[in-house]
Amino acid sequence: MLESAKLIGAGAATIASAGAAVGIGNVFSSLIHSVARNPSLAKQSFGYAILGFALTEAIALFAPMMAFLILFVF
Amino acid sequence: MFEKFPRLFLFYENSLNSSATSSRTPSQSTTTITDSSLQSSDTQGSYDGIFEDHPGLNPSSERIVELQSDIREKLEELLINKSPDAAMVAAEALHGESDNIPFMEFILNDLNTNGVESESYKDALAALVKMVPSPLEQFEIIPFFPMKIGDLYFSFTNPSLFMLLTLSLVLLLLYFVTKKGGGNSVPNAWQSLVELIYDFVLNLVNEQISGLSGNVKQKFFPCILVTFTFSLFRNPQGMIPYSFTVTSHFLITLGLSFSIFIGITIVGFQRNGLHFLSFLLPAGVPLPLAPFLVLLELIPHCFRALSSGIRLFANMMAGHSSVKILSGSAWTMLCMNDLFYFIGDLGPLFIVLALTGPELGVAISQAHVSTISICIYLNDAINLHQSDSFL
Repeated sequence: MLESAKLIGAGAATIASAGAAVGIGNVFSSLIHSVARNPSLAKQSFGYAILGFALTEAIALFAPMMAFLILFVF
Repeated sequence: MFEKFPRLFLFYENSLNSSATSSRTPSQSTTTITDSSLQSSDTQGSYDGIFEDHPGLNPSSERIVELQSDIREKLEELLINKSPDAAMVAAEALHGESDNIPFMEFILNDLNTNGVESESYKDALAALVKMVPSPLEQFEIIPFFPMKIGDLYFSFTNPSLFMLLTLSLVLLLLYFVTKKGGGNSVPNAWQSLVELIYDFVLNLVNEQISGLSGNVKQKFFPCILVTFTFSLFRNPQGMIPYSFTVTSHFLITLGLSFSIFIGITIVGFQRNGLHFLSFLLPAGVPLPLAPFLVLLELIPHCFRALSSGIRLFANMMAGHSSVKILSGSAWTMLCMNDLFYFIGDLGPLFIVLALTGPELGVAISQAHVSTISICIYLNDAINLHQSDSFL
């Protein structure tokens, strides 16, 4: 019972990756948009985009972290 | 309950038809079964009572502990090439949390008389197979020199060892590069690495913290440089196989982020006095809204202390665990002794290889991100709401 509840919980925790996917897609689509509008700012916006990507990715990793915690710690 | 203690169920079944023909090792096991069922009928009267606790009838908890340790020792004997820990796990899986003495005596008898052939031993093996090695095993803290001062735990553990190792290596690098009062005018590779890190953090501080003259800004520079090099070298160091990721422990990252948060708050009060409290209320807000807005600003501000710690820890832990899980699957496929699996194994293997690159990238970019966020918090604390940067 507990085992199956754990598996369900861990599976449900990975749903959160959907949000991260949207976020990362948004970051890079915005980068392409802004570079297409103003190519001279490409370098600067790329730095910001990488920063935004890293922040989003960090949030994305909460999902597998929760899944691991549910599966292996409790 | 029964799925946790399978032997309990088996014993019950067997003792019911103990006189009937049993399929396994006839002579000895039947005697043990009748033996133990006799005992159980002595103490408890009926077979159904086996599943119930009778603390009044069996107050001998010492006997239970004794039996448990006997089972464990016997298993340690039998499981030759397994560690004592594994024997412990197997023994626990066998007797569970049962305090049923006849049942445990039965297991012990079975192990003693039948040895490797016994059902109990097979159950123990099955329990060991079922025991999946946790990918979180790599984050285990092992004390090397146990030390206790009063109630405080001061052991020299593997995080301390790896912290010391990385710290000494980085300090050695810095020492050798700046040996003759600042190195060469034409830098070699090592010196340019150090200069690169130095320049990078210097630019970061100059860009992110505004509204101060250069000299004042430089006061914060050493602290930020140290924080950056801490995560920059600690994070990728965890990617070395069989080493230990110091920053994958919440305690360490949280200690770092909390102390930085407290430091930033002190800097804010130092530079702005009590005016720092206006940080909690954006200018031009109507008075009725003020209580809510103060709360709304206070919560994210305090959450910063947690978030930068959690971010680093979660990145390190989740990334390393997923690499471990994938390499575990690649290893299992490789050990299956099957040509099909052997060819298919290339898939997970390449995924592991491909994941190692992003992992290193994440390790370095997390150092960058945490340093930038520290600079941003510092800028907020110094300038309050006057200059909003992009975050």
